Amino acid sequence: MTVVASTPPPRLPVRDRAASPTRAPGVSPMLTRLAEERATGVLEREHGTLHLAEGRVVHAESPLATSLATLLTRHGGLDGAAWREAEDRADEGRLLRHGVTPGVLELAQASALYDAAYFALAPSSTPGRFRYGGAHWLAGVHPVPVGALEQETLRRRALLPRIWPDPATDGAPLVRADPVAAPAVPSRQAAVLARVDGVRRAVDIARELGRPAFHTLVHLRRLAAAGLVSPRPAPARDRPPDTGTDPYVALLKRVRDALEAL
Amino acid sequence: MPGIDECLLETMRLPGARGAALVDWTSGLALGTVGEPPGGDHETAAAEAAELARLAAEQRAFGPEDGAEPADPPVEDVILSNRDSYHVLRFVPTSFDSSVFLYLWLARSDGNLALARIRLGEMAERLVLG
Repeated sequence: MTVVASTPPPRLPVRDRAASPTRAPGVSPMLTRLAEERATGVLEREHGTLHLAEGRVVHAESPLATSLATLLTRHGGLDGAAWREAEDRADEGRLLRHGVTPGVLELAQASALYDAAYFALAPSSTPGRFRYGGAHWLAGVHPVPVGALEQETLRRRALLPRIWPDPATDGAPLVRADPVAAPAVPSRQAAVLARVDGVRRAVDIARELGRPAFHTLVHLRRLAAAGLVSPRPAPARDRPPDTGTDPYVALLKRVRDALEAL
Repeated sequence: MPGIDECLLETMRLPGARGAALVDWTSGLALGTVGEPPGGDHETAAAEAAELARLAAEQRAFGPEDGAEPADPPVEDVILSNRDSYHVLRFVPTSFDSSVFLYLWLARSDGNLALARIRLGEMAERLVLG
């Protein structure tokens, strides 16, 4: 018997996620590069826009998020005309003169920034575009390092499925489910639940309440987990009449949906 | 005291302060951190404290019973103690719909819990009112 000394097959490549948390998959390599070269300008991605100054993210906007203007004006802290005036003149001082304290401006700007960045950094089907240019007028309020923003975005992505695995409530029009024995709903979730009407989506509800959109996604996942909210079903096809009124059938459907979404 | 960092730095001037953070209790995000992280990591500590804050803020049983219009959240602070330290979570009421709290980690040997509680309340107010 001849013994053939064979070399073991090469190990399959494994991405070492632990070693480079800021370069985990799904987050923009372009953004990392822009941070390294300390770029200033605007990065446009499919679901939102990031404003950079000296390589740090200073402002973010997304059609799926609640804007800083909405956060500040919705609850009467600032009136819409005063905001537009400040924005037109790119004058932060004007906001402060209209009663927005520096602390509130920073809290609101940070909330809006992380909120919009969550959507802007979502996986996209088109490449991002960067335009070099001047810094955003609110660049000094709360700049965030790119690594910290990417890490937080990944943490947020992981948080939602831990509450409820089905992502359908994030984007679809929502309906109330009204189970037989409804659990008590905390007041902030109740405000969200009260606006679920078969038409509004998470982002619509967030803007009406003047809350960050991601917070509303969290509340909606909790409501979905409690069986109180579900995405509006697709238009009826040729199927036997829906037995959705039977609480046991509704429960079984939710269990099925959750298992499928795992 | 204009911003988040100044507020946290002032928190650290309390006797016995080991670490402090400003945390959003809906998302678990630490908007600012200073000093040592409890448990070795600021991000994890913030997420765990956020979970505790959320539970305290959402339970009706912990609200006041004076019949007045309930505040949002109805709770002012959460105090947790162990053999060598206190953890104090102070909710920050804001003019817009936010969900943030100040989180102070205090050494038990040289910290003064009553003083820390009063100061945190003042700082939470000043952060928002300027």
